[in-house]
Amino acid sequence: MSKPEINKCLYPIFLSCIILGLFIFSFLSTAFSNQEGVTKQYKKAVQKMDRAGQVNAETQVPKNIVRVLDEDQGGHFFTEARKSEIKRFRCSSCHNDKMVSIQGAADLSHADIKVVHGGKEKPLSCNTCHSTEDRDFLTTGKDTRIDPDHVYQMCGQCHFRQKKDWIGGAHGKRIIFWSGERVVMNCTSCHNPHSPRFAERWPKTYSVPLK
Amino acid sequence: MDSKKKNTISRRAFLTGAVSAAVTGGALVTTGCKGKNLLESSEAFALEFQEYFKKHYRLMNEMEREKTVSRLERLSKQKQGITVDIDTTGPLENVLYGYAFNVTRCEGYMECVAACVRENNLDRRSNMQYIRIFEMEHGQMSPDQGDGKYFHMVPREGHFYMGVQCFHCDNPPCVKACPTKATWREPDGIVVVDYDWCIGCRYCMAACPYYGRRFNWNQPEIPKEEITKKQHYLGNRKRVRGMMEKCTFCIQRSRKGKLTACVEACPTGARVFGNLLDPDSEIRFVLENKKVYRLKEDLGTDPKFWYFID
Repeated sequence: MSKPEINKCLYPIFLSCIILGLFIFSFLSTAFSNQEGVTKQYKKAVQKMDRAGQVNAETQVPKNIVRVLDEDQGGHFFTEARKSEIKRFRCSSCHNDKMVSIQGAADLSHADIKVVHGGKEKPLSCNTCHSTEDRDFLTTGKDTRIDPDHVYQMCGQCHFRQKKDWIGGAHGKRIIFWSGERVVMNCTSCHNPHSPRFAERWPKTYSVPLK
Repeated sequence: MDSKKKNTISRRAFLTGAVSAAVTGGALVTTGCKGKNLLESSEAFALEFQEYFKKHYRLMNEMEREKTVSRLERLSKQKQGITVDIDTTGPLENVLYGYAFNVTRCEGYMECVAACVRENNLDRRSNMQYIRIFEMEHGQMSPDQGDGKYFHMVPREGHFYMGVQCFHCDNPPCVKACPTKATWREPDGIVVVDYDWCIGCRYCMAACPYYGRRFNWNQPEIPKEEITKKQHYLGNRKRVRGMMEKCTFCIQRSRKGKLTACVEACPTGARVFGNLLDPDSEIRFVLENKKVYRLKEDLGTDPKFWYFID
């Protein structure tokens, strides 16, 4: 007589136990699963990589670099030096008070340089960037001197958004290593300062059609 | 009687002569044409035989890995005459590789594709490429609307370029599809293939929503002088016909702290590669300061490859 009554009592308790168990199981499985997403994973990470430390013996700092005067998110970083790349630097070896012989003037003049910079309405001229007083330096509008190695300071005056990205790492590119000391390309490593836009050309290779 | 004897003798003589001639001739043939090769290739044969019985890469211990690497290096020396350096560098501590692609900057020069082919010893005969660059009109978002086989002067007015390769998903569908566990996600986030464990069923190719995997339809053919000699067991070492391969974020380079070949080759700086777990890295700057998106994010594959806009 009493058996069915107990069964009737136990039935809802049993059912609720199962539901509770399932609930706990699903909660635990979500809490302990590794599938938390890469976004969460990197946002949690705070441990910085040691820039001075090397990943292995192959990681070396490239030569011919200068320390950038600005700082990025991880402290100081380096960029490619410019002066040693310019064939006839120092400029003041010709641009001085002394007389210049006419021989070889065609080679020594800068007639081959075409300035395509600054748009049609307000094109740049030589002296927009090059200093007239101190020939070995670039100049800003405020009559300050800029070393050609730190040419990013010059470009960054108009292209300040690009400079901000360049300091952070969204513009320009790093040299050889993703680890170790951060060495990035200078503005002039990729852009010709006299005509900074990339030229139209044929692609290096081609892809085979998929279908 | 005499003639009969003569006959039998002559027949016997003929038979023995024929047999001995056949034996010596055969021996001559084998020694003359094959013998030298056989002697030379017996070591290669033994090495190849031993290669059949090696374990899955993840189940091998250090010693077994060293052994198989030395076997593979010796085989390459024997068969192609090239001294290669195969390493088995493991993942770095506290590193998760991430990649960002600037769709505004890419001009479609395809320098990255050429560099990738060269670095990863891809098959030149079938023209296999890991990277595909799509030329897309402004306003298009998905590469399936783009032109993946353009060949004209670039950049073209009113178009932008979008590179697609293996996205190294954090939740990779290809790994789940593999019936032999020949592909897996390394602790540093790179999805790799054990080429010797792959059976070439191409399930992973079907499972990948990004067309990130490639199949070797023929024995890869690479000009001898163009082979990259710095190799990794899971990366650009010699592959065979009938197995899968894919982009490995240039595992042989990235684990040594170097940039991948595509990043290094990019003439416009549209490609950013780095450690996601380092708050100072460039990739983290991009993710935190730029407008980024991922391809087919709704599938939940969680790729570690972001596109961003200047």
